[in-house]
Parts: sequence; structure tokens; C-alpha cells
Amino acid sequence: MLAENYTQEIEAILAKYPSDQKRSAVMPLLFLAQREYGTLTNEAITEVGELIGLQTTEVASLVGFYSLYHDRPGGKYRIQVCTDLPCALKGAQAFADELCEKLDIEMGETTPDGQVTIEQVMCLAACDRAPLFQLQGPNGFRYHEDQSIGSAMALIESLRVRGQVDRAHRLTAS
Amino acid sequence: MSVTLTIDGTEVTVPEGTLLVDAAKRRGTDVPVFCYHPKMKPVGMCRVCLVEIGRPARDRATGESLLDESGDPLIQFGPNLETACTITVGQGWQVRVSSEKAIQGRKEIVEYLLTSHPLDCPICDKGGECPLQDLTMGHGSGESRFLFDDKIRLAKRYPLGELIFLDRERCIQCARCTRFQDEIVGDPVIGFYERGRRLEIVTYSDPGFDSYFSGNTTDICPVGALTTADFRFGARPWELNSAASICPHCPVGCNLTLSTRREASNAGRDVVKRVMPRQNEQVNEIWICDKGRFVHHYARSPERLTSPRVRKNGKLVKASWNEALTRAAEGLKGAASSAVGIASGRLMNEDLFNLKELMAALGGRAILVDSMAGGNLIQRYGVGVGSNLGSLGKRDAVLVIAADLHEEAPIWWLRLKQAAERGTTLIVANARATRLDDYAKHRVRYGPGEAVQAALGLLHLNGGDPELARFEGDRALKSAARAIKRARNVTIFFGQEGLNYAGTEALARACALITESKGRVGKSNNGLVAVWPRANTQGAWDMGLRPEPAGLHRALAGAVAAYIVAADPVGDDPAAAAPFEKLSTLIVQDLFLTATAELADVVLPAQAFVERAGTFTSGERRVQRLYPAVGALAGSLPDWKIVANLAHRLEVDLEDKAAPLVFERIAAAVPDYLGLSYDDLAAVEPQWPEVGGADLYFGGTAYANKQGLGVQLAPRGAGRPLKWKAPPRASAGKDLLLTPVTVLYDRGSALRHSRLLEGRIAPLQLILHPDEIERLGLSEAGEVEISWDGRSERLKFAASTDVPPGSALVPRGAGLALSDPTPVTVRRSNS
Repeated sequence: MLAENYTQEIEAILAKYPSDQKRSAVMPLLFLAQREYGTLTNEAITEVGELIGLQTTEVASLVGFYSLYHDRPGGKYRIQVCTDLPCALKGAQAFADELCEKLDIEMGETTPDGQVTIEQVMCLAACDRAPLFQLQGPNGFRYHEDQSIGSAMALIESLRVRGQVDRAHRLTAS
Repeated sequence: MSVTLTIDGTEVTVPEGTLLVDAAKRRGTDVPVFCYHPKMKPVGMCRVCLVEIGRPARDRATGESLLDESGDPLIQFGPNLETACTITVGQGWQVRVSSEKAIQGRKEIVEYLLTSHPLDCPICDKGGECPLQDLTMGHGSGESRFLFDDKIRLAKRYPLGELIFLDRERCIQCARCTRFQDEIVGDPVIGFYERGRRLEIVTYSDPGFDSYFSGNTTDICPVGALTTADFRFGARPWELNSAASICPHCPVGCNLTLSTRREASNAGRDVVKRVMPRQNEQVNEIWICDKGRFVHHYARSPERLTSPRVRKNGKLVKASWNEALTRAAEGLKGAASSAVGIASGRLMNEDLFNLKELMAALGGRAILVDSMAGGNLIQRYGVGVGSNLGSLGKRDAVLVIAADLHEEAPIWWLRLKQAAERGTTLIVANARATRLDDYAKHRVRYGPGEAVQAALGLLHLNGGDPELARFEGDRALKSAARAIKRARNVTIFFGQEGLNYAGTEALARACALITESKGRVGKSNNGLVAVWPRANTQGAWDMGLRPEPAGLHRALAGAVAAYIVAADPVGDDPAAAAPFEKLSTLIVQDLFLTATAELADVVLPAQAFVERAGTFTSGERRVQRLYPAVGALAGSLPDWKIVANLAHRLEVDLEDKAAPLVFERIAAAVPDYLGLSYDDLAAVEPQWPEVGGADLYFGGTAYANKQGLGVQLAPRGAGRPLKWKAPPRASAGKDLLLTPVTVLYDRGSALRHSRLLEGRIAPLQLILHPDEIERLGLSEAGEVEISWDGRSERLKFAASTDVPPGSALVPRGAGLALSDPTPVTVRRSNS
């Protein structure tokens, strides 16, 4: 339960908004819930709604709208490619399709090693730098612009190596 | 201030601030819309209302209007088309709705909308009353430039709950449904998920799409995306006939249209296929609640009575009308002045009038079973003619006391919520929190059963008797009293929650006195509205029936025969059966073989409202007409006719030919109805917004009102002065005061015989405050035993922090035979 495990964090978030405008705290609370649960399950969404007096459906609408919230489990990293019209005109759709093919997964799926999920998202507000994607991982997110299959695969490879290094670290530490 | 502009070459003058789309409609020009709805804020999402706007050019330096060569103002048209739904009109504008450029723009939007909208009109429920279909016929290009295999495929039968189905492919993302739920009814239980072409409507509530108003979204949906479980695949709109009716389930009196079709399934006779709102901007606008929309199936229940019955050798057996009426007449004749007529506000005025006349001729009494007082005060202090919740504004106030309108009269709740949002001062006084509190400026909380004390406190602070000072109350009450004092108009809704009959009588008086203290009795938007338990309780008072303050058993003491119409006192409380069993003749007239009917000597089958002509008088005292929509169930007769036929056998002359003729007698005999006729009730006038036509300015499938707006009766005025009455003390001592609270979906006979709403019926359970649960040492699941007056009952329980201290709540009509607040002992159940 968020309310019990993160009492102080929740109070700190709520304190930033007027007491009659608690609903404004929905975004940071969702991030908190996502950190706790990994993905925003129905239970997590309901809990956030209860904290600030919003209907579950209202909270869910936000989760659905923003690409930074995840409603289903994915890999350690998420590569989110914008394929809206301007990006598609600059080859983003072909780029996304080819990337999936190279990784041998379908759009929305995760590589068998659990490292990378490829997702298609709506506008990332950087049409002039397409093909581009937003990389989300444990340390936040970052844009990778003017991408080619080569540059994207090199990045994925480096993430894999880093993942193995991380795992090796954990193994030696334990 | 008004603004004059030119639309397609014709000059039109409208108030400043009018949206261009509305200005065009007032001139008779349809600008097509999907997302725009005249009852909601504009959002400009669908882009189909594109028009060309030319504005008078001005010199940038001087601000002076520029003139063309002929000396007229120079009009400049922008390069782009603009959305008529988001732009308010400007002086001197020239607007082109039907220009080639505007039409081309709309064509492109339609082509775009159709890239993924399925062309499945032949199987779509909206087909025939769909603005997208109409616009496609008018504006659509014959073929699409988009790739057929790029069409998005989505779920076509997605239940948002058991009442409303979503076809995701048909949704054009106009957000009318989600905005209706959020903006108009405050139940944001459906929402958008995802973005762009992947956007979908979702619900996360339990049960799905949990709102009393969900059906209205299917009316305003401009495509076939939302359909009701009731009408889905039920019929094509063009096959339907329609009849005007009035909802018989609460005192709001929502105007309905019953859509019917002849069906083989009913031996070629008419069947009600759907219940739709009929526009009455003074009553329900274009909305109805889900109970009114979905509960009508009880009228077709196979359990309906289709033949009279009489008791022979201890058994009820089928009999002819002649035999049954003769037997009933004999019983009443023998009883004469020891006969009692008992009826409820479920009946129409015509029925109640005839019943009252019959009992008067016999010298017996006509008793109203609805246990709430005040109908006589409404006749004097009711709201003035022209009262309209939709017209309330910043200078007006509304007090709602001892009622939970969301459950008892949903459309009043909705309209008061909207009035509050327009700036009307809303005061909600109750022993517990109710859903109207969210919109109230003042929330007055009183102790369980102390509504009268609160009302007297409000009266005192508005200049009543100094003796009343002891009811002055807390700060919330004082500021509410000041708000009443300041307001120009004050409407008071009073209910019966937490009160017995004597309590409601005292409350009605106190509220009448508050009205009187304002000195505006009889003016519009001033006066009392009783939140009656039935649709026509006010009509029953008006026709001369009165409740028995001491209870039915008192009315039956010494009675020899009873004639019970549209009431089931034994079903309501099985322990009340004894006095009925002692009668020498018990006559019961109803739709079903009720528990009371099972004890009867004669049972007479009555007709349902869908089969009937007649009138109801609403809580706002508007007399409204119902028209028959389907043929009567064979074997049944309208109540007024049964009463008249019975009267003939007793040589009492009552009208037995037609409902309008009964009403003529009412109009001659009942002072407030003097001179009224069915024609007056059928009068209509133009209403805004226009709905129900084949226009492209699509207000929804609510029906236009062509059959009558009804007539609001004028209150008689204060007359002889009223005195306030000391409120009865409700004390529960060490016990808990168990208060029945009205719920929309109760276990009444209408809901029990309508399968569609089965899953939403409120469960019978005791609602306790969590502190009380702890004090009683109750475990989380399990049952409690409650006892009162030597009776006891085992019930499930639930927790709610809304329960006032010292009390417990139970849904009214959910199965516990208790109608008054009663002190009860609550114990842990032993097993």
C-alpha cells in the first residue's frame, strides 16, 4: 500500500498544492506508484485516486495519455519511437519496423533477455530530428534523435553490456 | 447587448456572447456539429463545424474601420476556416456557412472521420437517426483516398457495464459522453485512454459505467458508438412509433417518449422498445435517469395479472369482471361508511379522483399510504407559476433538507448541481453527507432526526418567533440563514429522511414559514417542493386523499371492508397483515399478485402506465399528461374505470368512459384544477436548444415535445397564518436510531420485475459507522441482529463514515419492514 509505505513522500507531494486542489498532485503520485509497483496496475491507479479523491477512471485516463506512465510490464529499458505523421514522413515508421525485425520482436514486445521493449508513441515534439525515440530506463529518460538502425542497435548493445556488468556487480556484491 | 452579423447573406441579431454555431441555428442555418452540444461547453475537437468568417477590417494605427470603394465596411476573410462552435459572434461579421470553401473543409473532415469509422450503418442502432450518416450522405465524398487495409480494427461489442455497450470502431472521439459525465452529472466514470487513433473510451468503475445517468450518453452520442443494452439490436428507428408519457417513478415528472413497434413476439401487438427523454426545459430538459429509462420491463412481466380473481373456498380463483365487481360491490355496500379506500401516489389523478368520489359517496375514508405530510401546505406555499430550476441564477437560493436528491429524484439533483455551478446558493441540510453536498455553498449538519430543529433555527434567524431562539444552531446554520435572507428567491425542497409522519408535518410547516418570512409566496422560484416518495403523491393530496397520521392500522380499526389500490402494505410489512385478515371484504387492485392481494377476497387487474392515458401532478405541481403507448394487457383495465364500474354497482355515478372526461370532472370539482383541460396540458411552445429533428445541429435523440409541456398550478398563497409546531423529539436512548434512507434502485415491484437493473438493486444491509462497528466488537464479515418493539432481524452490515453518530442506516424498501426511524438494539449475531 502506497499510503502506508510512503507516508512521508505522499505528504511532501501533497504539501506542494493547495489543500482544496489535491487533484493537482496526481502526476507525481503516479510516478511514486510506478516506482513502487514497476507498472501502474489497476490497484495502483485506484490507490492514487483514493489519495486525492479522483475517480479511478480519471487517473487511468492520464496513465493512458502520457507515454511516461506504463500500464503493462516491459523490459528494463523502453525505447519509445514516435511514428506520427511528420516522423513517419521522415522514415520513422520504417525505422521502427526494421528495429523490431532486427530484435526479432513485435511492436510492444520485450526482448527475451528482458532488457528492451519497443513501443510506438504519439508525438514527442521533435519532428525535425526524426527518426527519434525516447529511451526510458532505471536512471530516467533521454531523447535519441536522428537515429539510424546502426546507431540504435549500437545503443541497445551497450545497454545489454551495461546490464551484464550490473548483474556481475550484483553477483560479486552478494 | 446584442450583436448583428450576416450569415450566408442574411442579417441576424443575437445576444453578445452567442456562439456562432448557435447564432446560425437561431437563423435557421445548420452548421453541422459532432463534438459541440448546446448543453455543454464547446471544445472544438471534431472540426466539422468549419465556416468562413469575414471581419470588418480596421486601420491598425487609428483603430478606425476601413471602408471599401462604395463606402461600406471592408470585410477581410482570413486564410483558414474556423470552428463555429468555439467562436462567439462579432459585430458586422460576414459568415459563410454554405460557401464552396466551407463545404470543402467539412467534406475533408468527414473523409478523415471515415478513415476508420466502419460503414456498418445497416446493422448500426444509430442508423436512421445518426448525424454522421446524414452528413456522409450530404457531404461525404463517394470514395476514400485512404488505404482500406490501414483501417483500425477495434472491439465492436465492449460492455462498459451491463447497461451500456461501446463499439470502439464507431467512436469518433468527440468526447460528448465523457464531458457529459464530467461536466453535467459529475460522475467522471468513463474517460479517454491513449491518444490519437488509438484513443479508446474506458471505465474503471465497479460496476462498470457506474452512474445513474449513463443512458443519456447514448442519446447524445452522434454515432452508434454507445448503445443501451435495452435497445441494442432492438429495432430500427424508422420502424418505431412514439407516444408521449410521464415517468411514474419519482416526483420530478420527467417527460418521456415511449418508442413502440408491433411485434410477432407479442401477437402482432405493440411493444415498448425504448424509453427516451422528451424535451421539457422546465422539468427534465433533455435528460432522464437510468431507472426511468430501463425499468419499464415490469409492464411486460409474465407475472402481470390478466384476470380478476375472487376467493372461493379459501382460494383465489380466476373470475369474470362481472363476478369480481359484483362481489366487491357487495362487500363495500355491506360496509358502507365502515369501508376504507387505500391508495398510493403511484396512481394517476383520474384514478385517485374516482376513488375519492366513491369513498365519499359511501361515507368512508380515502387514505393515502405515502407516509409524508405537507401536501396541503404545498397547495398554499408551493413554488409559483413559472418556477424553473434551469432559470435559477446568482441571486437565488435553494434549501434541500432531509432529502437525498441523488437517490430520490436524480434529475432534480442534476439540475440543482448545475444551478449551483451557475452561482445559485445551494444549502444542503441533512444528518449525514449526501452527494449534493459537493456542490453546496452551505452544509448544515443536524443530529439524527433533528431536521425540524434545523429548519426552525433557519426560521428564527429569518425573523421568526423569538421563542425559536433555542433552535439557533451552529455557525453553518447561521451562515445558511443569512444566505436565505440575502437571496432574492428561495426554493425549499423538503424530504422525509430521519422523520416519521409527525416529523414531516412539522418540517413542512417550518419550511412554509421560512417561505412566508421571505414575503414572496406564490412568486416564481419561491416556495416549497416536497420530495415525495411517489410520482403523484401531490396529485393524491390534490384529489382529496389524506394519510392517516397514526398509521394504517388505525385507519383499519373498525373497518369492515377495504379497497386497496396500487399499494401493498402487507408486502411492505408482513407483520401488518393481521388487520387485513380480520376484514370481511378485502379488495386489492394492482398489476401484480402482491402479498396484500394474496390475502384479498377480490383481486382486480389494473393497467401499467405504458398502456394508460391520465395525468400526474409533479412535485413542482406541474400537471402533465400521459398517452397510451401500447394496447392494454388483455384482461386489465385502467384504475379509474375499474373504480367507476364498481361505483355503478353501488349506484354511484362516476365517469367510466374516457380519461379526459374524468379530468373534466376534476376540473369542475377540484378548485386548483378549475377549468383545466387535456388540451391545456397538451400545449407546447418552441424550446431551446432544438432537439429531435433530422438536423445536423445534433442535440441528441431526445424527442421534441409535441404533446404538451403541462401546466404548473398556482399556489393559493399564505391565507390564514401558520403556527410552528414543536418538533417531536427523536431519542434513541442507549439504542441506535435506525434510519431508512431512500435508494434509487430499491426492491420495489417495478425493479423486481425488470431484469435489466437487477444487478444494481441496493443490497439489504445495515450501514454502521466504523466506530460503532468497533464498539460493538463486530468482525469484518458477518451479520448483526437488530431488535425493536419485540421484533428482531438478522442483517449483513457495511461500514460508512457518513453515518451520523448514534444512528444506523438501512436502504428503504430493500426488504426490512421499517418505514419510520426507529430505535433499535444492535448485537453481534451469535452464529
